[in-house]
Amino acid sequence: MATKKHASDSVVKRADLTKRVGVEQIRARGVNVEHLLELLVDAAGAEFTTYYYYTILRMNLAGKEDYKEICEDARLEDRAHFELITPRIYELGGKLPSDIRVFADRAGCPDAFLPGYSGVTEKGVQTVEKIQQQSVKAADILEVLLEAERCAIRTWSEICDLTFGKDPRTYDMAARILNEEVEHEAWFIELLSMERDGVSRPSGHFRRGDPGDAPYSKNRGFYNP
Amino acid sequence: MMTESAPKEHQIRLIFPDAMEKTISVHEDELVLLAAFRKGIDLPSMCLQGWCLTCAGRVEGQGAWDQSAARRYFEEDRESGFILLCTAKARSDLVVRTHQREAMRDERDRQGLPAPRG
Repeated sequence: MATKKHASDSVVKRADLTKRVGVEQIRARGVNVEHLLELLVDAAGAEFTTYYYYTILRMNLAGKEDYKEICEDARLEDRAHFELITPRIYELGGKLPSDIRVFADRAGCPDAFLPGYSGVTEKGVQTVEKIQQQSVKAADILEVLLEAERCAIRTWSEICDLTFGKDPRTYDMAARILNEEVEHEAWFIELLSMERDGVSRPSGHFRRGDPGDAPYSKNRGFYNP
Repeated sequence: MMTESAPKEHQIRLIFPDAMEKTISVHEDELVLLAAFRKGIDLPSMCLQGWCLTCAGRVEGQGAWDQSAARRYFEEDRESGFILLCTAKARSDLVVRTHQREAMRDERDRQGLPAPRG
């Protein structure tokens, strides 16, 4: 009798709850699941810390209402990314670190600190207060936002590469997130270019329907008035 | 008349995991990883901000490099010979063992310092 390719669960025995066919099938196709999980947790950490730091950056764009709106979209969409990644981590047999300090420390991208602040070498609260008193320049904040998005694009491109043609579920998720990170980069290039250099470099995008709409990662319709 | 002097060049000998070696010339104001890319050498990298450790190498013997562009780099990293090539500028000739992400992460663990795991 001919056996169907990919249909036999030779690795996962009947009623065995210690293994997942959804994991073993992608492993059989060449995904290093353990490495992928580590990358996903690092990426989730980066999305989560970015959401946190964007909150602070947004507050410090006081008086620049248009920039605040765009920052808000990126901030909420990064939170949506964290919430999209987390179920996939557990599904693959992984978990989030129990301690948020461990989680933040292992984030795959740098902390999006207020410009002028370095968490490694300076004392936190006092430094931030000093920076805020001096009023942070919008261009400097936009540069932090831009570089944070660029790190995210590199991370999600790597995860797309690792899963393409082998793990469609993770790939689909990574591609959706990547789509939004690419848009975020384009927004911040547009804003920083005009703010800092007086040069027009349009993102080419229309506005989100609602703040943090996340059309790709929340599977929503695109704004089309 | 003042003449602008050309940036100094250093020789970087890269030793790969399969023991193959390549030597590249790198200007002092050039990032080592980008110089390698320009020479067609494909080294691992991801964040390109001196954070994720993907591009880590280990310097053999003596050598000097500027790592000030890295977003997270500890004195202990330097003392252990680890270099983040994506944000490193050579300040002397260097011999670098490439593909050292896991070794650098293990060293960070030993030192109780943070590191991404992927």
